Amino acid sequence: MASPAVPLFSMDGVSKRYGGVKALEKANLTVEAAQIHAILGENGAGKSTLIKIMSGVVAPDEGRMLLDGREIQFASPAAANQAGIVCIFQELSLVPDLSVADNICISNPPKRFGLIDRRAQRRIAEEALARAGAQDIHPMAPVKDLPLSRRQMVEIAKALARNPRVLILDEATSALTAADVAKVFVVLKRLRAEGLALLYISHRMHEIAELADQCTVFRNGRNVATYRAGTKSDDEVVELMIGREYSHVFPPKQALAPSAKPPVLEVRHLSWLDRLKDISLSVRAGEVVGLGGLDGQGQRELLLALFGVLRGVSGEILIDGERASVSSPSAAKAKKIGMALIPEDRKTEGLMLPMSVSVNLSFAALDRISSGGIVDRAKERQLIDEMIELLAIRTAGTDIPVGSLSGGNQQKVVIAKWLMVKPRIILLNDPTRGIDVGTKAEIYQLLRKLAATGAAIIFYSTDYDELIGCCDRVLVLYDGAVKRVLVGDEITERALISSALNMSAQSEGADMASATSA
Amino acid sequence: MNTRAGALWRKVDPAVATAFGCIVLLLFLGSLYSSSFLSPEYLLQQLKVASFLGVIATGMMLVILLGQIDLSVPWVVAVGGMMSTAATGWGPTGEAFAIPFGILCGVALGFANGFGVAYLRIPSMIITLAVNAVAQGLMVVHTGGFSPQDSSSAAMRFIATGHTLLGVPNALLVWAVVGGATVFLLSRTTFGRAIYGIGNRERAAYLSGIRTQRVVLLTFAIAGGLSAFGGVLLAGYASKAAQAMGDAYLLPSIAAVVLGGASILGGRGSYIGTIAGVILITLLQSILSVVQIEEAGRQVIYGAVIIAMLLLYGREKVAR
Repeated sequence: MASPAVPLFSMDGVSKRYGGVKALEKANLTVEAAQIHAILGENGAGKSTLIKIMSGVVAPDEGRMLLDGREIQFASPAAANQAGIVCIFQELSLVPDLSVADNICISNPPKRFGLIDRRAQRRIAEEALARAGAQDIHPMAPVKDLPLSRRQMVEIAKALARNPRVLILDEATSALTAADVAKVFVVLKRLRAEGLALLYISHRMHEIAELADQCTVFRNGRNVATYRAGTKSDDEVVELMIGREYSHVFPPKQALAPSAKPPVLEVRHLSWLDRLKDISLSVRAGEVVGLGGLDGQGQRELLLALFGVLRGVSGEILIDGERASVSSPSAAKAKKIGMALIPEDRKTEGLMLPMSVSVNLSFAALDRISSGGIVDRAKERQLIDEMIELLAIRTAGTDIPVGSLSGGNQQKVVIAKWLMVKPRIILLNDPTRGIDVGTKAEIYQLLRKLAATGAAIIFYSTDYDELIGCCDRVLVLYDGAVKRVLVGDEITERALISSALNMSAQSEGADMASATSA
Repeated sequence: MNTRAGALWRKVDPAVATAFGCIVLLLFLGSLYSSSFLSPEYLLQQLKVASFLGVIATGMMLVILLGQIDLSVPWVVAVGGMMSTAATGWGPTGEAFAIPFGILCGVALGFANGFGVAYLRIPSMIITLAVNAVAQGLMVVHTGGFSPQDSSSAAMRFIATGHTLLGVPNALLVWAVVGGATVFLLSRTTFGRAIYGIGNRERAAYLSGIRTQRVVLLTFAIAGGLSAFGGVLLAGYASKAAQAMGDAYLLPSIAAVVLGGASILGGRGSYIGTIAGVILITLLQSILSVVQIEEAGRQVIYGAVIIAMLLLYGREKVAR
C-alpha cells in the first residue's frame, strides 16, 4: 500500500457469480476517508453487485473486505449499517404512508418504555434533515405528500441518521431537479470535509467531474483503472469503459432494398407523462432498429407504449402509412397490425412458469388456432412442433412446466410463442439478458432471418455489442427523448457510449457545458 | 399410448389422490359405525345431496382458478331459489321460465361482481361481500322479511328430486352435465386457457393479448349463474325457497375446491379434484350428523380441515 495509513475501507479480490454469469470477478477497491470516490462503468459492469456486497445485501463468493484494516463480513444490510456502511439505493426505499420522521428512524427507532419515543424521533429526524440540507421538509409530513426530489432528500437524511462512515450513493441524483442536485453537492462536500468516505455512482459525467477526488472504472466485473479525478479526458474514460472481449457471432446484415412502400411502423411525436418526450421513428419491412442508451432512459416505456399497454400516450402511430389505434395488447396482436412484444422479464411477463411448455407456446396464438372459441388441438400440436423445431427448443417434453427449462430455452419459448402469431412488427425488450452465449447467437440469427422475411423489428438491448452487431439503425435515448440516430457504420461502441452519456459533439446544453469545463 | 398414460399419471395431483383416499377412509370409518353407510341407497342419496354443492362449487372453482374469490355465494344461492319460486307464482308463463329466470338473476349479480373486480379493480373479497349484502337486502325487500310463500315449479322439483333410469337421481345428472361442460370449457376452449393463464400470471396473460378484463367479468357471471342454479335446485328439493338457504354453502364450496387440490392463489386445479372435494365434504357432513355432532361442531371441523389442507398444499406456491 502506497499510503502509510490504513485505508478506511478496502475490498480485496472479491467475486460474485449469479448462476453462470460472473457479476464481479476479483474486484479490488480502496476507499479513503474524507474523499469522494466515483465508480464508473457501463450497464452490467458490476457496479450494482459491488454496492450490494459492500452494503450487505448479498454475500461475496470469495475475497475479503476490510474496514479500518480489520476483516469484516456482513450477514445483512443492518449489519453493514451497524459497521458504518450505509447505502442510498437507486430505488426509493421509503414507506409512503409513514411520516418523514418515521421513515428516517424506521430501522432503529428511539424507544421509551418499549414504545417509540416520538419526540426523540422527531429530534433525530430534524437533525438528520438539517445535516442533509433539507431543513424545509417537515419531519411530521407524510412521505407520500412529498414530490420525488424531496423524497430523495429524505432518503439521504435517513442514511445520515445512521451515522455512516462510508456513504454509498447509487444514482442518488437521477430523480433530482438541478437546484436540488446543487444542494446535494454542497451537502456531500461538507460530509467529505467531516471525514466521511463517499462512494458515488452516477452516469452523469459532469457530476463526477465536479465532485470526485478519485475515480475507479469497472468493466466486465473487474476494476480496470483507478485514477485521480481530472487526470483523464472524457475520451480516455470512454476508452476504459469499452473493450470487453466478446465472442459474439453476428450474422451479416443485409442491405435494405429501396422501396416506395410506406414504413410498416411509423411513430410521430410520441409522448407519455415525462418519461417519453416527442419520439418519432419509423421502421421498414426487413429493418432492425435498435434502441440504445443507458438503462432506464425510456426504452422500455417506448416499447410498452407502442404495444398499447400504457394509458395516456399522445402522438400518432401509423401502420403501413395509415393511422392506427393500438389501445391494448390484444389490439396490437390483431392481424391488421400484427405486433408482438417480447417482454423484459420472461418470468413475470412472458411466461406462466408452472404451466406446460405447450400451453405457454400457444397462449398468444390461441385465436389463430381456434374456431368459435374451441381450440383445434391437432393444429395446435402441429404449430407447437414446428416452433420447437424452428427455434431448437431443448425440452424433455411439451407437458412439463416451462419453469423447469433453462433460462435460454425459456426465452426461446417466449419468442416462439410470439412467432406463432406470425407478427409483422416485433418489439424486443432486452431479449438476451441472462442467457447463455450460444442461445444469444441463435437469437441473433433468428432476428436476421425474420427481418429477411419482411418483419419490422425494434430491438432494445443493454448490451452495446448486440446493437452494433444486429441493428441497421440505432436510436440512442436519453431522458425519454431520442438524442441521436446512428446509421450503418456509425454504430460503434464509442458513439453509443458517448451519446448514451449525452456527451457527444452534437449535443448541446448545460450537461455538455459542465462536462467539458471539467 | 405409453406417453399418454404417463401424462395421465403425471396429471394425478397428490391432493386429488389424497381427497379420494379420505373419501374411502370416511366410508370405512362410517361402516364401522353402521353397515348402512355402504348401502347403494345411502351412497346415491349422498351423491344427490352432493350435486347441489357440486353445482355451486363449480362456479367457485372457476373464480378460484382466476385467483379470486366469490363470497356472494350465500345470497346468490338464495336469489336463485327465491326468484325461481317467485316466477312460478306468476302463473303458467312464469312457471315455464322459472329455472332460467332464477339462473339469470344470479348471472346479473355475477356480472356486478365481475365488473367490480375486472374494471373497477376492487378486490374480489370486498366486492363479492358487498354484492352479497345487496342481494340479501333485495331479497328482504322482495319478501318483506318473511319466509317466501311461493313454492317451486314441477320442473324444479323434477330436476332436484326425481329419478330417471336405474334410480339415478336427476340432480346427479344435472351435476354431471354442468361438470362435463366445465371440463370442456377448461380444457378445450380459449376461454378456459385464459382462466388458467390469468390465475397463474395475469400480467403475462395480458401481455399475450388476452382480454383479461372480459375473461374475469364472464367468469364471475358464470359463477353467479351456477350459484343461482344451485339455489334453484335447492328450492326444488325443499319445494320452496327460504331466507338463509344459501348460508350453509359458502364455506363448503370453498373447502371443496381447496380440498380438491386447487391452489387458492389461482391457476392450478382440476375439476376431478373439485368432484372429490364435494363428495368428501358431503360425506363428512353426513357422517358428522349421523354420529350426532351439532352444526357448530361441524363448522369447527370444516375450518380445521381446510386449514390442514392449506398447510399441506396451498403454501407450495408461496415458498417457491
